[in-house]
Amino acid sequence: MYEPKIIGFLCNWCSYRGADTAGMARMKYPPNVKIIRVPCSGRISPELVLRTFREGADGVMVLGCHIGDCHYSTGNHRTAKRMPVLKKLLEYSGIESERLYINWVSAAEGEKFATVIKDFTEQISALPPFVETMK
Amino acid sequence: MSPTKRPKERIGVYVCHCGSNIAGVVDVAEVSAWAGKELEQDGVVVARDYKFMCSSLGQELIERDIKEKGLTRVVVAACSPHLHEPTFRAACARAGVNPYLFEMTNIREQDSWVTTDKIEATKKAKALIAAAVGRVAYQKPLESLYVPIDPNVLVVGGGVTGIQAALEIANSGQHVYLVEREPSIGGHMAQFDKTFPTLDCSACILTPKMFDAGNHKNITLLTWSEVEKVEGYIGNFTVTIRKRARYIDESLCTGCGVCWEKCPKKVVDPVFEAGLGYRKAVYVPFPQAVPKYPVIDRENCTYYLKGTCKACEKFCPTGAIKFDQQDEILTVKVGNIILATGYDLFDARKIPNYGYGRLPNVFTSLEFERMTNAAGPTLGKVVLRDGVTQPKSVAIIHCVGSRDKNYNNYCSGICCMQSLKFAHLVKEKTGGEVYQFYIDMRTPGKTYDEFYQRIIQEGANMIRGKVAEITDTARHPSEEGKLIVQVEDTLVGKQRRIPVDMVVLSAGLEARADAKEVAQKFGISCSADDWFIERHPKLDPVATMTDGVFVAGACQGPKDIPASVAQGAAAAARVLSIIGQGEIEIEAATAIVDEATCVGCKECIASCPYQAIQYLEDKGKAYVQEALCKGCGTCVGTCLPKSISLKHFTDEQIVAEMIGAMQTMKSFETVEAA
Amino acid sequence: MSDRLSSLRETIEKILPDVDGVIALRTGPGGIVAPYLFSKEHPGELAELALWPKEPVPDTLKIILRAHPDAKLAIVCRGCEERGIVEMFKHAQFSLENVTLIGLQCDQQEVESCQCFKPFTVHAKLTVGQPVEGVRDPLMAKVMAMSQPEKLAFWKEEFSHCIKCYGCRNICPQCFCNICALEDEKWVETGRLPMPNPSMYHMVRAMHMTAKCVGCHECEETCPADIPMAVQFRLIARDVKEMFNYEPGAVMDQKPPQLLVLEEGEYENTGLPH
Ligand SMILES: Cc1cc2nc3c(=O)[nH]c(=O)nc-3n(C[C@H](O)[C@H](O)[C@H](O)COP(=O)(O)OP(=O)(O)OC[C@H]3O[C@@H](n4cnc5c(N)ncnc54)[C@H](O)[C@@H]3O)c2cc1C
Ligand code: SF4
Ligand code: SF4
Ligand code: SF4
Ligand code: SF4
Ligand code: SF4
Ligand code: FES
Repeated sequence: MYEPKIIGFLCNWCSYRGADTAGMARMKYPPNVKIIRVPCSGRISPELVLRTFREGADGVMVLGCHIGDCHYSTGNHRTAKRMPVLKKLLEYSGIESERLYINWVSAAEGEKFATVIKDFTEQISALPPFVETMK
Repeated sequence: MSPTKRPKERIGVYVCHCGSNIAGVVDVAEVSAWAGKELEQDGVVVARDYKFMCSSLGQELIERDIKEKGLTRVVVAACSPHLHEPTFRAACARAGVNPYLFEMTNIREQDSWVTTDKIEATKKAKALIAAAVGRVAYQKPLESLYVPIDPNVLVVGGGVTGIQAALEIANSGQHVYLVEREPSIGGHMAQFDKTFPTLDCSACILTPKMFDAGNHKNITLLTWSEVEKVEGYIGNFTVTIRKRARYIDESLCTGCGVCWEKCPKKVVDPVFEAGLGYRKAVYVPFPQAVPKYPVIDRENCTYYLKGTCKACEKFCPTGAIKFDQQDEILTVKVGNIILATGYDLFDARKIPNYGYGRLPNVFTSLEFERMTNAAGPTLGKVVLRDGVTQPKSVAIIHCVGSRDKNYNNYCSGICCMQSLKFAHLVKEKTGGEVYQFYIDMRTPGKTYDEFYQRIIQEGANMIRGKVAEITDTARHPSEEGKLIVQVEDTLVGKQRRIPVDMVVLSAGLEARADAKEVAQKFGISCSADDWFIERHPKLDPVATMTDGVFVAGACQGPKDIPASVAQGAAAAARVLSIIGQGEIEIEAATAIVDEATCVGCKECIASCPYQAIQYLEDKGKAYVQEALCKGCGTCVGTCLPKSISLKHFTDEQIVAEMIGAMQTMKSFETVEAA
Repeated sequence: MSDRLSSLRETIEKILPDVDGVIALRTGPGGIVAPYLFSKEHPGELAELALWPKEPVPDTLKIILRAHPDAKLAIVCRGCEERGIVEMFKHAQFSLENVTLIGLQCDQQEVESCQCFKPFTVHAKLTVGQPVEGVRDPLMAKVMAMSQPEKLAFWKEEFSHCIKCYGCRNICPQCFCNICALEDEKWVETGRLPMPNPSMYHMVRAMHMTAKCVGCHECEETCPADIPMAVQFRLIARDVKEMFNYEPGAVMDQKPPQLLVLEEGEYENTGLPH
């Protein structure tokens, strides 16, 4: 067993607040995910995700507001189009595409946030460390 | 470690105990000692932990270090930045460090409160602090941008809410454009006879306000008009309004009424009379209409249909009828916008087992309102569909289309009170029996429950149960010729069939059918039920996520007149406070294009949700209009050569933050392996 | 081939008097085939008109239009080149107002050599040659059939030969940026050969080619190490077509999908959670 290193890019308005909500409700989840706050999931370029993998991250999460609820109205529509393509590229490159996780968590969904973190951490723990891939 | 050469900065790190909220789980002393030592090479010159960083003593600690130790950057590890980022930014500013050179990391909501293992929580705090330290060195001072506020205001919707908002603003001396789609202002309230809970006459309290709005020197009233386009941003909106042709020259018309008296074409009025009464093809919806000018309903006017008639033109004493009048397109500049577009009534036809539209003596609440109105189609008499027979018994069904998973899940808020009002009116006007069918009685307003008590005193029969069916099929001779209301009476615990002469369906309130389109036009959003979404349900109920656009009244969610009026006034107060500031601070963290490298591919332009990016034809480059940019960064995520960047969320900053976290996590691995 | 050559020559001769020049291939001194601007002043040069090997003419068009924005030009382009021109036009790299496209349909032999999926033009009003069916690059299926570790190993092996000459980027008609993310240390490791695995260089470029790569194979042809890197772009292009119904170069006024809001039904195609 190893401790997966995971970076979560969370939009400021829904998902980051959803994480706060989980905290306020004292829900427990594994500490592996380190959260980086960005204004909107639309800010996350594929390059940022790739760079995070290059740094040795075992998994990357991109969480945003639900479609229709983006604080910037449709910033996350672009996320919903870019990120699936990036997942495909990972697959075609021979990298487990489940290392990149995209989901929508609202400010109210503390419980969903905690679940998503638990599930993703488990999912990544089942894969070999990404450094193996980098060899 | 750094993505490009790391700037030499003097960084202070402050780890908050938050009493035991953080310190109970995270070893804060260890964390601050670690930061002071391990992050020294990243520029940390002081690292401290303190009981309550947000207290005035905590803030003074930062301010003192800035002055004494010459800090150029500050990191606080504490609660969520959504709580205290402004507090610490202000502290930095007081000590002379630009607020954007401060970074906050969340080791409470996102660490101590969610992590069981103390050692793990402590490690996580270190990684998060390293990330913040990583990014803070790349942060740049930002100055807020100020834009002047155009003091003119647009109010859309002339119901009681819009009228209230317009009057408040106009009375303060600012100019209002009040745009109403129907021929007259007044909205739903103008249709009622009496209003709960006081049962005062609706027209008596509304008409004076309508008159004031129509004659105010600071209000430009545009009825029979609609907003077509909105451009710009808070302080500087350009609004295109279509003033539909009334086919009446307003400068000549005196509102004498000869035209509608003489017009031979009678039309069912589906709007104001709720389908219960008629109007002419040239009409004002009701006698107290404001403005007093009629409109010609082109779809139904005999002249437009057949080419002859012109009765109105013949008889108009001032020659005001203008069959060739065209729509006018007006462009106005305003600084703020209030939407007060109200609601639609739930279409009771959607519930076939209630028989509306099939069983003639099933009425909707709005029909009943018109019926009880002294100026309405029945001159205030409560009668069956035949127009003459007085009902001896009336059933009033609550929650029609509301609190029902098949239709609308929410409570429409006003129907209980409105149904009780109807009970009173039936008693007063017919003396007959009244049955109220309700699921729960909801009377939470001031003096509302007293009103409920009073109606019980008046002898209304209260039956708790959700009506299953309304039918005219009799099972018993006593039911012959009646409407039978079939219900499970949950208080007595048995099925009942109650024969009545008339049924009134208290249909719920729904968002306007075109709410989504309107929301899109004004750049705001709708909830799943299409109500306009406020910025915050409790603390900012009339603002929206779009600066300068406010919502008030029933368009934001079901509400009664007192609440609507209060919101109208509240929205006006918000707008006046913005106007009073003269100028407004806008987002400092906006996007910016590096013209030297931009290849002019226009990808960012297409991807911006706010059309904030222009294409400079002469240069072949993109250009961000700062006042329009909301700082989402979608353009940055798009641009391939990375020629556009978002201030305060640059690639450099985010990558440095990520590396800070990654390297710390990796360092723990090495330690453990060793 | 000679048939197409003479009818192309005729077509050019017909249009030549009405334009400032026609961009087409010419066999120059030493037998080297390169893009050339034929003009009415020198009609005799048309004797040297050539068809093959193909060259990245969209770039030639861009260079000439940048220098002479008002020039009235015609350009001979194959299917892939036409798509390249359309994508560059969509990305505001030039205006096509004064440009006449002359479509040159590839023949069977050329299609085989390129493994091109769409070897014919769709916008050009003037065309030369008969369109033939496209083929699917068999390497796509081959890569898809590999297991995850096999894919990883395959690309690791391929990219271990990459000398990072930037040739694939330089020749690509869609890589028209002034500065390039591939030269930025933030995204791509500089100064390391063989490049670290997985290759940031090739992954970043693959993402940049989303909804952009027109399948001209110029990059693969130019690569000194013979790396079939564009197979990934083609696989992604297939996905983008399935998910968002977009094909680079196919429709003049259709914007790349990843820039726009989701259309009705598109979300369901993304495979993202609800
Ligand atoms: C049967 C019934 C009885 C009721 N009785 C009572 C009562 O007794 N007491 C009480 O307190 N409340 C009562 N209510 C509730 C009351 O009707 C509302 O609280 C109130 O009307 C809300 O006012 P408003 O101005 O927000 O909306 P509305 O009255 O709906 O007014 C909105 C206005 O905006 C206009 N408009 C809409 N869209 C546009 C557009 N796009 N452009 C321009 N103009 C537009 C409309 O034409 C309308 O004039 C009752 C409701 C019903 C259904
Ligand atoms: S996406 Fe980038 S290169 Fe293209 S126009 Fe915008 S800033 Fe310029
Ligand atoms: S940051 Fe967002 S709002 Fe600003 S220009 Fe970019 S895409 Fe538009
Ligand atoms: S052309 Fe070939 S060798 Fe050169 S950078 Fe591209 S893949 Fe590498
Ligand atoms: S990536 Fe290769 S195949 Fe695709 S357009 Fe560029 S050069 Fe042509
Ligand atoms: S790889 Fe990307 S940044 Fe570089 S030239 Fe091509 S599209 Fe532009
Ligand atoms: S703000 Fe949350 S995804 Fe856009």
